[in-house]
Amino acid sequence: MAEYVGIDLGTTLSGLAYLKPDGNPEIVPNADGERLTHSVVFFDSHEDVKLVGSAARDGGEPDRTIFQIKRYMDDPEHLVEIDGKKWTPAEISALILSKLKRDCSKICGDITEVVITVPANFNELARKSTIAAAEMAGMKVKRLVNEPTAAAVYYAHSQGVKGRILVFDLGGGTLDTTILDVEGDNIKILTSEGARHLGGSNFDDILLEAYAEQYKKQTGAALYSDERHRRRVLQATEDAKKMLSKLQRVNDTVANDQNSGIARIDLSRDHFEKLIRHMLTRTVFLVEQALDSAKLKTSDIDHVVLVGGSTRIPKVKSMLEKMFGKVPKSCGNVDECVALGAALFAKKSSRIQEVCNASYGTLAMVYNAKTKEEKLMNSIVIPKNTPIPCSRTQVYQTSEDNERVIEVDITQGEDDDAKFVDVIGRLTLDVPPNRPKGCEVAVTFSYDENQRVRALVVDKQSGRSKEVAVTYKGAGVLSDEELKRRSHHLRAMRIE
Amino acid sequence: MFKILKSLSKSLGGSKPAAEPKSTAKEGSLLDKVNKGAPVAAKVEPSKTPEELCGITPKMPKDEIKAQLKMLFRRYNRSASSLDAKLRGEADQMLDAIVQMREKHFGEI
Repeated sequence: MAEYVGIDLGTTLSGLAYLKPDGNPEIVPNADGERLTHSVVFFDSHEDVKLVGSAARDGGEPDRTIFQIKRYMDDPEHLVEIDGKKWTPAEISALILSKLKRDCSKICGDITEVVITVPANFNELARKSTIAAAEMAGMKVKRLVNEPTAAAVYYAHSQGVKGRILVFDLGGGTLDTTILDVEGDNIKILTSEGARHLGGSNFDDILLEAYAEQYKKQTGAALYSDERHRRRVLQATEDAKKMLSKLQRVNDTVANDQNSGIARIDLSRDHFEKLIRHMLTRTVFLVEQALDSAKLKTSDIDHVVLVGGSTRIPKVKSMLEKMFGKVPKSCGNVDECVALGAALFAKKSSRIQEVCNASYGTLAMVYNAKTKEEKLMNSIVIPKNTPIPCSRTQVYQTSEDNERVIEVDITQGEDDDAKFVDVIGRLTLDVPPNRPKGCEVAVTFSYDENQRVRALVVDKQSGRSKEVAVTYKGAGVLSDEELKRRSHHLRAMRIE
Repeated sequence: MFKILKSLSKSLGGSKPAAEPKSTAKEGSLLDKVNKGAPVAAKVEPSKTPEELCGITPKMPKDEIKAQLKMLFRRYNRSASSLDAKLRGEADQMLDAIVQMREKHFGEI
């Protein structure tokens, strides 16, 4: 049995690593001989089989192929319908995890308990969905760990990196920047900032537009008219992007599926970098945000380490070098270091101090006695970057006379302005009648190691209390009962 | 400073099911009214310029522009992963405007 296993469930690629007896982590290839598995699922119409990986990516039937499901893990309403059956993002992810478990266990032994990595900015729902996906795939989640944290563990282990580190993790779908202190096996996270929908696949989309524009200019026709052909050209642009990390210029030829002729695409690295400049500026904002959150300057950072396939883009490296005045470190296998770090984390988790990735609080009418102004605000109970596990309490007052039910909205987000935070749950507590307004209510939030939050409300006068873990409702969220039923069904499926 | 508990359903005069993610940015809601007095950035409208969207005025000092853009980036980057689909949609437009403003006032990367 593989005792320490880490899985990087990525937007475009997923990987599984285990810790060998000598203490070093190793990537376990899938049954197709690939070290990383494309996070793509194909539902075959002829046979009752689900293909996962490169076979699914190249399958060719776009209506039956699911790409980048990770981007929807935080969407409570997202469903994928195939042959009349509705699949939640967690179920699709479970198919990918099942493929990894089944294939890899043939090499490293039975896999029952795993550490799974998630982007640092994954919200409550996305984390819960990831745990549900693993359970459906027949694995218990020992811990969720943020991707940059896992990568830092790997860099500390394999490259001897120590000091104050900034991890710049630009993957297929998301960007994470994390600042941490590393001293041998002891790691202390200071802050993590993430950006959704900022990764390699966004660069592919931008290149696709450039291809389509050149094709239109040369032939007068549209480059693609259906999803199947769009996917094919998208693969070509991804290849061109990768080549531009090594070459200054790439020549390609493309045709549409309407016999409108062939166009010659001439693309320089310089032009590509101009096309993605706006996205890269967003990455600079995020790095600055991380530095501000940790109250640090660029000169306080000892090393910048690169994670994720998109950090191979030369402009990314030069941009960070210019910003920090030092060459960023790259371990080479930037696509694999998250999974490898997760396997190490499975053994060393007790020596790693993580922090809350978001602020949690409640809505409160805040009255300023000085200005006599009152405003509905997001009142934070647990601030972002508080070391976890943690528990914090704030005391509030009831707003009305004879208030019979106390309602506490649970918010997630840092903004003071209530418009810009998510209300992720509500707790209601019945209290005795005929009380004046102004009774004290203590609201306690607890945050566990898997970055899951619980809320406890105590009415101080009556002593009544209620505690809840945040639960989500929505078409794309499974109940516990449904989860069990679908897990059973999924384990009987043929997944290749 | 007093903090008085105020749930959304009580604020809006209706009841919503417990623990259900929902929009916090409904037009015409109490939230809108409460926040009307201090808008930091304009509501995203296609006809508005990036300056208007980001609340950047011609005579604003550079350090103030920088602080404003950083605050807006933090806000809308977070909004890009909001549970509110409308806010998510607005966030991308705002992030584009913020990047344009940075490039205009502080140069390209």
